[in-house]
Amino acid sequence: MTEFLDLEAQDGVRMPWNVVPGTRQEATGCVVPVSAIYTPLKPFPSMPVLPYSPLRCRNCRSVLNPFSIVDFAAKIWICPFCFQRNHFPPHYASISEDNLPAELFPQYTTIEYASPDDRPSSVPPVFMFVVDTCLIEEELGFLKSALLRALELLPDNSLVGLITFGTLVHVHELGFGQIPKTYVFKGSKEVNKEQLLEQMSFFLKKPKPTTGVIAGVRDGLDAESIARFLVPASEFEFALNSVLDELQKDPWPVASDQRATRCTSTALSVAAGLLGACVPGSGARIMAFIGGPSTEGQGAIVSKILSEPIRSHKDLDKDSVPHYHKAVKFYEGLSKQLVNQGHVLDLFACALDQVGVAELKVAVERTGGLVVLAESFGHSVFKDSLRRVFQSGEYDLGLSSNGIFEINCSKDIKVQGIMGPCASLEKKGPLCSDTVVGQGNTSAWKLCGLDKATSLCLIFDIVKKESPDATMQSTSNQFYFQFLTYYQHNNGQMRLRVTTLSRRWVAGPGSVQDLIAGFDQEAAAVVMARQVSFKMESEADFDPIRWLDRALIQLCTRFGDYQKDSPSTFSLSPRLSIFPQFIFHLRRSQFVQVFNNSPDETAYFRMILNRENVVNSVVMIQPSLISYSFHSGPEPALLDVAAIAADRILLLDSYFTVVIFHGATIAQWRKAGYHKQPEHQAFAQLLQAPCDDADTIIKERFPVPRLVVCDQHGSQARFLLAKLNPSATYNSEAPVPGGDVIFTDDVSFEVFLDHLQRLAVQ
Amino acid sequence: MSAFVPPGVPRPGNANQARPQPQHQPPNYGPNAIAESMQNMILNRPPSTLPGSAPRPSPFGQPPPFPSPSPSPAYSGGSQPMSRPGPPPPGVLARPTMPPSTAAQATFPPNVAPGRPTAPPASHAPPFGYRPPAGSLPSSVGVQTGVSPRAPISGAFPGGPVTTPAAPPAARPAFASAPFATGPMVPPTGPPSASVNNGPPTFAHGGLAGGPRFAPPGGPAPQQLPVAPPPTDQVPRGPSMHSLMASPSVSSPLAPPMQSSSTFSRAPQAMPPPPPSPFGAQPWSMHSEQMPPPPPVPGPPQPPRVFGMPPPLSNQSMTAISPAMASTGPSLGGPSKIDPNQIPRPIPSSTVTLHETRQGNQANQPPPATSDYIVRDTGNCSPRFMRCTINQIPCTADLLTTSGMQLALLVQPLALPHPSEEPIQVVDFGESGPIRCSRCKGYINPFMKFIDQGRRFTCNLCGFTDETPRDYICNLGPDGRRRDADERPELCRGTVEFVASKEYMIREPMPAVYFFLIDVSMNALQTGGTAAACSAINQVISDLPEGPRTMVGIATFDSTIHFYNLKRALQQPLMLIVPDIQDVYTPLQSDVIVQLSECRQHLELLLESIPSMFQNNKIAESAFGAAVKAAFLAMKSTGGKLLVFQSVLPSVGIGALSAREAEGRTNITSGEKEAHKLLQPADKTLKTMAIEFAEYQVCVDVFLTTQSYIDIASISVVPRTTGGQVYYYHPFSALSDPAKLYNDLRWNITRPQGFEAVMRVRCSQGIQVQEYHGNFCKRIPTDIDLPGIDCDKTVMVTLKHDDKLQDGSECAFQCALLYTTVYGQRRIRVTTLSLPCTSMLTNLFRAADLDAQFTCLLKQAASEIPSSPLSQVREQATNLCINILLSYRKFCATVSSSGQLILPEALKLLPLYTLGKLLSPVYIWELV
Repeated sequence: MTEFLDLEAQDGVRMPWNVVPGTRQEATGCVVPVSAIYTPLKPFPSMPVLPYSPLRCRNCRSVLNPFSIVDFAAKIWICPFCFQRNHFPPHYASISEDNLPAELFPQYTTIEYASPDDRPSSVPPVFMFVVDTCLIEEELGFLKSALLRALELLPDNSLVGLITFGTLVHVHELGFGQIPKTYVFKGSKEVNKEQLLEQMSFFLKKPKPTTGVIAGVRDGLDAESIARFLVPASEFEFALNSVLDELQKDPWPVASDQRATRCTSTALSVAAGLLGACVPGSGARIMAFIGGPSTEGQGAIVSKILSEPIRSHKDLDKDSVPHYHKAVKFYEGLSKQLVNQGHVLDLFACALDQVGVAELKVAVERTGGLVVLAESFGHSVFKDSLRRVFQSGEYDLGLSSNGIFEINCSKDIKVQGIMGPCASLEKKGPLCSDTVVGQGNTSAWKLCGLDKATSLCLIFDIVKKESPDATMQSTSNQFYFQFLTYYQHNNGQMRLRVTTLSRRWVAGPGSVQDLIAGFDQEAAAVVMARQVSFKMESEADFDPIRWLDRALIQLCTRFGDYQKDSPSTFSLSPRLSIFPQFIFHLRRSQFVQVFNNSPDETAYFRMILNRENVVNSVVMIQPSLISYSFHSGPEPALLDVAAIAADRILLLDSYFTVVIFHGATIAQWRKAGYHKQPEHQAFAQLLQAPCDDADTIIKERFPVPRLVVCDQHGSQARFLLAKLNPSATYNSEAPVPGGDVIFTDDVSFEVFLDHLQRLAVQ
Repeated sequence: MSAFVPPGVPRPGNANQARPQPQHQPPNYGPNAIAESMQNMILNRPPSTLPGSAPRPSPFGQPPPFPSPSPSPAYSGGSQPMSRPGPPPPGVLARPTMPPSTAAQATFPPNVAPGRPTAPPASHAPPFGYRPPAGSLPSSVGVQTGVSPRAPISGAFPGGPVTTPAAPPAARPAFASAPFATGPMVPPTGPPSASVNNGPPTFAHGGLAGGPRFAPPGGPAPQQLPVAPPPTDQVPRGPSMHSLMASPSVSSPLAPPMQSSSTFSRAPQAMPPPPPSPFGAQPWSMHSEQMPPPPPVPGPPQPPRVFGMPPPLSNQSMTAISPAMASTGPSLGGPSKIDPNQIPRPIPSSTVTLHETRQGNQANQPPPATSDYIVRDTGNCSPRFMRCTINQIPCTADLLTTSGMQLALLVQPLALPHPSEEPIQVVDFGESGPIRCSRCKGYINPFMKFIDQGRRFTCNLCGFTDETPRDYICNLGPDGRRRDADERPELCRGTVEFVASKEYMIREPMPAVYFFLIDVSMNALQTGGTAAACSAINQVISDLPEGPRTMVGIATFDSTIHFYNLKRALQQPLMLIVPDIQDVYTPLQSDVIVQLSECRQHLELLLESIPSMFQNNKIAESAFGAAVKAAFLAMKSTGGKLLVFQSVLPSVGIGALSAREAEGRTNITSGEKEAHKLLQPADKTLKTMAIEFAEYQVCVDVFLTTQSYIDIASISVVPRTTGGQVYYYHPFSALSDPAKLYNDLRWNITRPQGFEAVMRVRCSQGIQVQEYHGNFCKRIPTDIDLPGIDCDKTVMVTLKHDDKLQDGSECAFQCALLYTTVYGQRRIRVTTLSLPCTSMLTNLFRAADLDAQFTCLLKQAASEIPSSPLSQVREQATNLCINILLSYRKFCATVSSSGQLILPEALKLLPLYTLGKLLSPVYIWELV
């Protein structure tokens, strides 16, 4: 396991198959696709940033890397992807075996180039706040104070704009003269960019160009006009604060049997239009703060009449959702627009009700936006997450923008697509596979927004055919991958990060052990999770449980060690041994079991899954459980109901929720206040330990997880119980050691394994 | 207040008057103050004073005589007449006169010139001085007089306005009109001296305008004359014409003319100055020739008597053309014939007449509308509220047709009373509401007959007999009247106001909502229109009704619409811009219109800063239609008054208009047929919107501070349909017009008025309402809806027979106006007029009311002009006059020689008026 972590620490890449099945047939038999989970901006303290432009292969445009074969005498390098021979340019003249440029150092398989001519901070970051005002006073108050705090944290040079909406969309003119102004747009009517420019008097001082696209100051707009809506945060702090201070609840009356009129989609499209006109191509984020369901405009998710419920998974399955498809279509259009403009949509949805995250998902995910779902604007999940967005220092998110991701690989490999927060740039090429998964059919993707945690899941296709003669050429039993990420660093600089990988491939009989040796079960589980989520969303009548079970059985059949038809002989290599457990928990996870969640929650969970790295994703699939007791230090516990004991404290991290669970006895003691008595110092420490650990988890995570502190038999304990393996249920016959049972009919892991063994050996 | 308007006009003459007003004005506000206001009005009425003033003298040199008025003028010899120029040829006679007239003209010019200086008025500083007067400008007065020339103009307006305030709006004159309405009555007071005064009053209308200059002419011209414009030569007429036009034509007509030719335009406004030699001259001359009218003579002196009431006796005879015409103008005139016995209540020398509406249980012939009188309501309503064109009702339709006269009522339900008149009594019947006939729903009135010891009553409108409600029963006296009749206003007064019970309300009475909408497009800023509007509004805020029910909102617009959130909690008003002018909406539900008490400071601050805020506005487009619609949406829930200040042709958004006058002009050359189309609205968009506004009780007033074509014909549809008014400041001058604008706005807001009104006129059996004419919206045939109603608004109601009436019986007319006061009370004002029926043609002529008749003709002509070729309308105007006279000559005149014109006494001024009308710009604009 650790070797995979080391690999990740070097390049930010995790692959289920680190030894690649070498032929198409072989790869298909492996069940888990050949794939990679890549974190493009993973911080590497030791990684050099080269202040010059990269050297590229003149044939395939791949970048010079440690895997290139260099002829120092002839000053020639051979591209490992296309075998093109390239001459070094004159400034590489001094190259020799002892004098290598950094990009050829074997340990620098990941390296960054910063183009020298780029003046940093020439383009300030832009934040457009889109704020829902259909809130109760209390919520609005929370939101206002959160925003005010956020403003203080904004980088000084950043530009800020403000749009509020409810029944109508208000675009605030922040650079106002004598009195504050807002432009008011009708909530039920789409406004396109041209109308917007026209109506907001952008062409007063500088007439509208008769032809061509209008794009920012360079093309057609007058800087003063733009400065009315986007102002430097530092200079206009006062104006911003006063506008926010005076922000009122949407004044339009709402009948008691109606929902508030909330035109989320129109507000977003106005925001997109405005940014598209003013700052196209430079990093800008639309940060939407939404406190309820959209009921007006193209993106409405439900009608205003309260008696009509908001869509559920069941409705979606039955396709009886009048608004859903229209809304999704709208947001698809919006996401295209945003991707063209290079802008990000961040979503902060805080409501007890659904707000339409499921519909918005496409726009948020394609633009690489952040998403936070909480119950209230007063909840720490929201408040702390928002603070994290702007925080600098140790835990900063490393928000970068305007990324373009490109890939090169050996000719026997093709790319099916990427599952993750990106959008296809529709650059078709020989690299593209016929099979498409996620954002496919391209070899370049746009990542409007990306941060240091953003992780893409690339799915490859091995196209190499069995060809006996080609087999054992030692030079060619490596596959090469090169990932190129251009992005605007948060200091304003344009950077190019290059990661080049090499993986051995095997084929033919006897390769099974090699494959097993290279199998990364965590990465595999995450790939399966992303795949199953994707299929559930995109394929009608898809049965995820069946699909997962089948995949697992096939994998076990292929890689297990057993005698046919004899379940008791079945065993799995340690490399594979936890994989069934991951699948077991995946089957029970929120990604697959959507029954208990709203479509919004499911969309939210999946969006996070699709952008997180392997370690965090695994936590989502199979939460980690740590047990604290007087008898021993903190130790990992089995994610099983048996882990519950009256004298233990359990810390469950299921990524979205962190649960501190006090056993019955501990809870009693705590209630009795023993931990406040000096003679029970140890008890106080015991109580404190899980809290400290929880804090550590919370501090590092975005979005900030919800912390639940509960006691055994308390109502909040359900957050823990739902995640545990139900080895003891209300109809278990044997008495239960831990003293707790789970009221469920779900099969326990033991039963699951039994069946698996039986089916795998058939 | 109305008076003010005129003043605004600029003319010097006004100035004088103006002054007075200022003082008075304040009073007006207060309800009580009405009386005072009246006085003011009078003052304003330039008429009297003005004429006397400088102008005249200079021109003719005769000055002295004139001033003195009356005396000499009478018939001026050829020469004199000339001087009168105006001398509108009363009689058709004209021919003979020709010579003189020409001469006169010749002379005039010179004279005029001097006087005229005014023409340029606008530019002149002095003028300004004048305007202010209205507001406050006492100081200026002195100056004004000097200026006097202007005076005439002002006069003109008055004339125009005449009775129908509302209509006039269109043109400046229009403004005047409002005033007029009231004005007429006033006259007396103004002028100190009796004789003189009287004279003036009469003139006042006509006189004034023309008056000064032509002095004499004016006189003759009578009411219309005002028009000073024409200036010089034709002067007399010219002026008069204009004025008339103005009024009659109402808004639309005028506008067009102005527009058509640049020069033209000037003329109108500046009337005086313009005299654009070319134009003015020609037209006039032409007319003059035709008309030849011998210079009428100034009968001025007599005017006073006029009050007295026109000598009824003399009906037949007269003829006398010239004499009659002469001075009096409006006033009845026939001097010599006056028989003191005929005067119901003679007043010594003073100009004021006392009029009892019924005497001896008979309807009393009302004094001329143009005279000064005090009414005692003894059963019939005051003629201020309702005036019939004929004070006896013909028994049959044939009889009416034979007479050639019109049968119509001019109803001005909230007309200002004379300060000395008793206030209208308010009667509260409590929960049950006023007693009404159960069949026709007529309201209880003095002519309902109680029978059966008071247990039942018979409706004088439909003849149905109802049970008297038990608690309303009262014994009858020996005379058949209820014993308590004199204690109950509803049984002894022609006009009473009932407190409306719940059943008269569909909702709570609406608050007084005032929404100001100001054009801030580039042009508006540059011409000073915006600044003038803001400052006028700012000054007028303090005049709005006090109390929690007064709500105010404000918005500005160019190619977008800017609302302002005036909520007190905000530190500063917040501007909310509505950029979509094709599909407008209101940006806020509530805080755009706020209680005045909560936002006074914000409002003042805002109004002060608007001009500077938009100082550098480069947007030339103006979205009038969209802005009005958006403002309407903001007011929709309550209704209220929407006051729009517009400076340029609305070129974008809903209801955008085009500068079609250019095409119009080219069309004229090709063929006259299409010319009148310019007087029609360009399309139906604004009409459709206006009907919706009316439905939600939004009344729109439009103040046009423009320097170019603005298509009033289209714009005016909105105020016309919503019971509003158009104010027109044509070449708007930032120097001279703001005071006038303020004055107009103040009167608009402070005059007695009501909201969400519904009005219906009921008639006795045998007569029915044919049609209503005026500024209102009509959704069902019997009622008219008036989102706003004020003391200056008059509705003409034409009547028709559906049966024979009984000779000797009485025919009653009842106007019921259900409205909400500015203080939120729901009231029903019931005005009842009962007139005798007659089958004698002579009686009809004797009972004819010249002012009402003529107003009626004007209004009809005004509505015709936009839809018919001008030549046809012109011809019709002449024919109508001829028909009446012909009928009289044929059936009533005892002696006749073919060369003599025989005029019924009551209508002896009709030919003169008709001539004046034909010379007004409305009828001749396309010739210019």
